[in-house]
Amino acid sequence: MSLLGVRDLKLQYGANLIQEHISFDIEPGTIFAVMGGSGCGKSTLLKCLIGLLPPADGQVLYREQDYWASPERTRNELRADIGVLFQSAALWSSMTVLENVLLPLEVQGTLPKAQHEARALEALEWVGMTAARDRLPADLSGGMKKRVGLARAIVARPHLLFLDEPSAGLDPISSVKLDRLILDIRERTGAAIVIVTHELPSIYALADDGIFLDAEHKRPIAHGKPTLMRDTVMHPTVQAFMRREEIDTL
Amino acid sequence: MLTPVQQAITLLGDTLLAVWRGTRRGWQFRPQDFARILADASARALLIVLVVNVLVGAIIAFVGAVQLLKFGAGIFVADLVAIAISREMAAVITAVVMCGRTGAAFAAELATMQANEEIDALAVLGLNAVDYLVLPRVLTLLFMMPLLYLFACVGGLVGGFAVSSSLLDLAPVAYFDRSVAALTYTHLGLGFFKSMAFGLLVSLAACFHGLYAPRNAAGVGSATTHAVVAGIVGVIALDAVFAVCADALGI
Repeated sequence: MSLLGVRDLKLQYGANLIQEHISFDIEPGTIFAVMGGSGCGKSTLLKCLIGLLPPADGQVLYREQDYWASPERTRNELRADIGVLFQSAALWSSMTVLENVLLPLEVQGTLPKAQHEARALEALEWVGMTAARDRLPADLSGGMKKRVGLARAIVARPHLLFLDEPSAGLDPISSVKLDRLILDIRERTGAAIVIVTHELPSIYALADDGIFLDAEHKRPIAHGKPTLMRDTVMHPTVQAFMRREEIDTL
Repeated sequence: MLTPVQQAITLLGDTLLAVWRGTRRGWQFRPQDFARILADASARALLIVLVVNVLVGAIIAFVGAVQLLKFGAGIFVADLVAIAISREMAAVITAVVMCGRTGAAFAAELATMQANEEIDALAVLGLNAVDYLVLPRVLTLLFMMPLLYLFACVGGLVGGFAVSSSLLDLAPVAYFDRSVAALTYTHLGLGFFKSMAFGLLVSLAACFHGLYAPRNAAGVGSATTHAVVAGIVGVIALDAVFAVCADALGI
């Protein structure tokens, strides 16, 4: 049984088609990359997968349960098993770092209250941000915000993590450190990770599987392990993206 | 895709449902966030509300004194100031000040949260933005605006008295007596009720423009501008409706 299944998904904003015919499965413990150029619909797909944007058609299956066809109560239960790191980290600006990491535990209420702080501090320790526990997000650098955002995403020990452009806006060294941290998180939690990115080094370093979305045809044009995709898929857009080549069609 | 009118009606309905949910299952917003919003819209707003209303009271008294003196009816300035302040000006001016000050802050804060995906992050946790963000702001202005209105009345009366006593050479006791006689519960009650309605309008307008702002830096600016414009125009339009209704009801 796959952890997450996507079946013939169609995404639209009003009458504007973004992507269609998206299908894939994600197994526990794998890192799955959603790739494609800017504006191809990667973040829109992510919004649909995390329950923020309903699809125009198709299914999103969490443990074989159709998320968008489920009642609100079931959706809340399914959503409790996912963690999300947003592109901007999306830390709540009025809360300290520790309060940010505590909130998912308080909302879910599955863990005894006495254990909340210990669990939150453990998550902060994993990402190396314990010292910043009482600081406000405005006082943190971009890389630090991403780390806190990651701590918030994993604090409730979800089985499925979504990371939206985790390396965006980071220098190469911080980016490599974040990639290592993501692998470390996978090792510690065993969670499956969906990573939305167009950062090639991160894709090759992290992903076991992936899908390539094409902006022009508004559908996926390649599916598989990114290194294999690079070596075997001859579509010019995929080759240009995976090898950073210039092509006439772009 | 909803039209702006449909979005506004949806927000109003969601807010009413959030009140119902809150009274049944407990409020979802954090007490410390509510306390921060409450302090910002009450104690920290008091000085500007007082200053503006003292000046408005003084202006009404000055204009009134100049005209009434021509008819030898200078003492009635006290009645004019008391009725104008308690019935109309304190509520309207306080709402306009709070719209420019607190309403703008609400809209900017929510629009920034929208641009930074903070509201999406709440939604992923299953937290409703209306329960968590809109409701504490609406409750704050709903309950703080009438309190500020009472302070505004005092400020306006003091401003009117200061000008009247210097222009008309009125005895303070005579002015005070006339003011007390003019200040009926009807005028105060109407002003109090209107200020609650204005609080609701200003907070909803601010939250609406903040929540539905475009997700970029320019969106924060436009949300703030639209919130202030909609709030002020709405307050004046609603005041006109109140005037007509009060007249029809003989209040």
